[in-house]
Amino acid sequence: METRPFETKHLDKWKSNLDSCIRCGYCYEHCPVFKDTRWESDAPRAKMIMIYGLLSGKLEPSTYISDKLSSCFYCQRCVVACSSGVPLTDIITDAKRDFQGTEFETPGTTSVTNTDCALCLACVRACPHEAREFIEGKIFTDTVKCQSCGACVDICPNQAVATHLSYGTDRPSLNQEVATFLGKDNAKAIVFGCNWSYYPDLQSSVMDPTADPEYKILINMCGGRLEKPLLLEPLLQSAWGVLVACCPDGDCEHDGNVKAKTHVTALRQLLKEMDIDEDRIQLVQVAHGDKTGFQAAIDTFMETVNKLGPLNHR
Amino acid sequence: MEKIDVPRLISIVGEKNVKTDPADLYVYGSDASVHSARPWVVVRPENTEQVQAIMAFANQGKIPVVTRGGGSGMCGQTVPVKGGITLDMKRMNQILEINPSDVFCRVQPGVVDDDLNHALKPFGVFYPPTPASSRIATIGGEIGNNASGVRSVKYGATRDSVLGMKVVLPDGSLVTLGARTRVEATGYQLHKLIVGSEGTLGVVVEATLSFVPIPKFRCLGMANFDRLEDAGAAIADIMASGVVPSMLELVDSVAIKAVNKTMDLGLPEVEAVLLYEADAMVKEAVDHEINAMQEVCKKHGGKGLTSSYDAKERAKIFMGRKKLFPALSKFSDILSSTSLADDMAVPYSKMAETARTIHEIAKRNNIIMTAYGHCGSGCMHTKILMEPTRQDQWESARKAVAEIYEYVRSVKGTTSAEHGIGISKASAFKAEKSDSLDLMRNIKKAFDPNNILNPGKLMDAHDDWVTATDLRYTIA
Repeated sequence: METRPFETKHLDKWKSNLDSCIRCGYCYEHCPVFKDTRWESDAPRAKMIMIYGLLSGKLEPSTYISDKLSSCFYCQRCVVACSSGVPLTDIITDAKRDFQGTEFETPGTTSVTNTDCALCLACVRACPHEAREFIEGKIFTDTVKCQSCGACVDICPNQAVATHLSYGTDRPSLNQEVATFLGKDNAKAIVFGCNWSYYPDLQSSVMDPTADPEYKILINMCGGRLEKPLLLEPLLQSAWGVLVACCPDGDCEHDGNVKAKTHVTALRQLLKEMDIDEDRIQLVQVAHGDKTGFQAAIDTFMETVNKLGPLNHR
Repeated sequence: MEKIDVPRLISIVGEKNVKTDPADLYVYGSDASVHSARPWVVVRPENTEQVQAIMAFANQGKIPVVTRGGGSGMCGQTVPVKGGITLDMKRMNQILEINPSDVFCRVQPGVVDDDLNHALKPFGVFYPPTPASSRIATIGGEIGNNASGVRSVKYGATRDSVLGMKVVLPDGSLVTLGARTRVEATGYQLHKLIVGSEGTLGVVVEATLSFVPIPKFRCLGMANFDRLEDAGAAIADIMASGVVPSMLELVDSVAIKAVNKTMDLGLPEVEAVLLYEADAMVKEAVDHEINAMQEVCKKHGGKGLTSSYDAKERAKIFMGRKKLFPALSKFSDILSSTSLADDMAVPYSKMAETARTIHEIAKRNNIIMTAYGHCGSGCMHTKILMEPTRQDQWESARKAVAEIYEYVRSVKGTTSAEHGIGISKASAFKAEKSDSLDLMRNIKKAFDPNNILNPGKLMDAHDDWVTATDLRYTIA
């Protein structure tokens, strides 16, 4: 495929904003990409520094840099946290724009379609960002428009869509985390939290590895991405309960909270039919940044689960 | 990249924990300061044994090693001026033990301050040094800088809370310093020396920290002053009166204007605002302290006195101070907020004069400077607002910074209260501590004969901070 040379055509206008960035690093703790890899190069601040390097000629464009700059879930939490009011995601989008069509362009966290695609076009219709197109018999993702929300991953009936780099937010990674945690002695419950709605503490540190926590919070990009098999998996692995946290009504631009509610309602019904207490699966809606509310919801849930005791498979 | 045996480092920490891409090196070459340089390689150790192996390897080849936590330092402490290995300590992030009966906790250096306090909260205690950057600052970095924050007036700085530590020396050997007891008189307390040594003496791999009970009552008050000097006199009087505030903050008129301009908070356009706080386990004790501070403020012409115990009300009163940092960053599209001469300390009686002098120096040098800070600890913060792409602005900044530090020394103040020295303040530090520099050099040599740990900092730093490294900005 023919490529064009890399130019900082769209990035040029951000020079003074990048000077304003005081590099305080307050964006780190909010970034799901950084929290997964814990490399500073994956934090929002690093993205700004790399762009600064490209603009000043101190860094040469590369596939590696393109990959870093294209790895963003657009949760906007860095933008809200920024001391200097730097519009990080707008700048990242322009970086993707400048890399698009060059030899360095990479998908990062944007979605890719594999050969299992049945061309049903459900993903094209579902994309809230008009990033997916049907061109000459194939589905293409516009890496600039794609905001890695995963609506296409969720809707694909053939599981032919995936985010290229998931940073621990895809189903296999979450299943792996569930299995690892539930292998511990005192493990009782899994809490699935939507990246937009919840705000756990202990962001970057871990308690004594010999300590025995009763529950584990797992990050998912959106409540709508929590499919039923994923929610049932902990119970199949002897968890005592599963709590799902998602945004309040009207707060989710993908209606992910509506989907999460539907899934949880259906699963509660299923448990009931199986003569299992339906309260072993619960849903809580948490407003953005409401740490206290989220913790209180977890505490209440754990009280219920502890009263119910272990789940006996029959 | 300089020639370095990367496969050897990979054999120690694994391939996933070594970075050599130019983009990674560029990112790890800067922090929150104005400086920039590049390491040759970034390595993430997971445990003490790996740190020991890396140090032994580096010492053998005389390779520089810079230890790095959150990278939130403001003076260039983690900028690798001589290249070498940057040790990213964020993987050593375990809270190893919380021991309420013996009143200590043990943590690895990569634990984030806020995370530690979150973990301590269920025990009804907190770790008090807490700088403003506590959401990303690591305990290791705070130890390196002897960090402190708004409550240092009552609870002290990091050094006051560190009981002991395990440190890997440049040759790879491990030493245990300090104790787990509240007091110790057992020879040189070398752990206290490590605090504030900016990664030049050893690599901290574990710290034993004390904590204090979370007070049940907290009250925050505010007073406005038409004259800066009156606010200064109130500060000195409060601190001399026997009152122990848990916070005493000064905000100057430049800061007030910045907050009003960018945040529209409608703060009164006076010359100075004082924020004062008291905390205790019984309300009467807090009442006593707050009343005493209000009386002093009234005596010196303080107006619009207000105070509250309510958390929401306190947040409202503190809003102007809290929004100051972003307000200065957003003050103008062409001006950037830089951390230079940003945390000197002066005697209480000189607080107002210092703020006034800073304004005069800024005006004389055609830059904008604000003065605010934890005046209860004698700490004055400033930010220099300037056009960082203009060479002449750097000349002005260089001149202003030199004049400020000359004044600070003249009133027997000190170069840094809480951000440390690094590169930016090295010349002022050397001028202030001129008669003990040789002693410090000998101590450094005793710990690190090959000068591999964070070379080019403190006594070893360039005398001109503007040309010591590349600046992070592109200057026309």
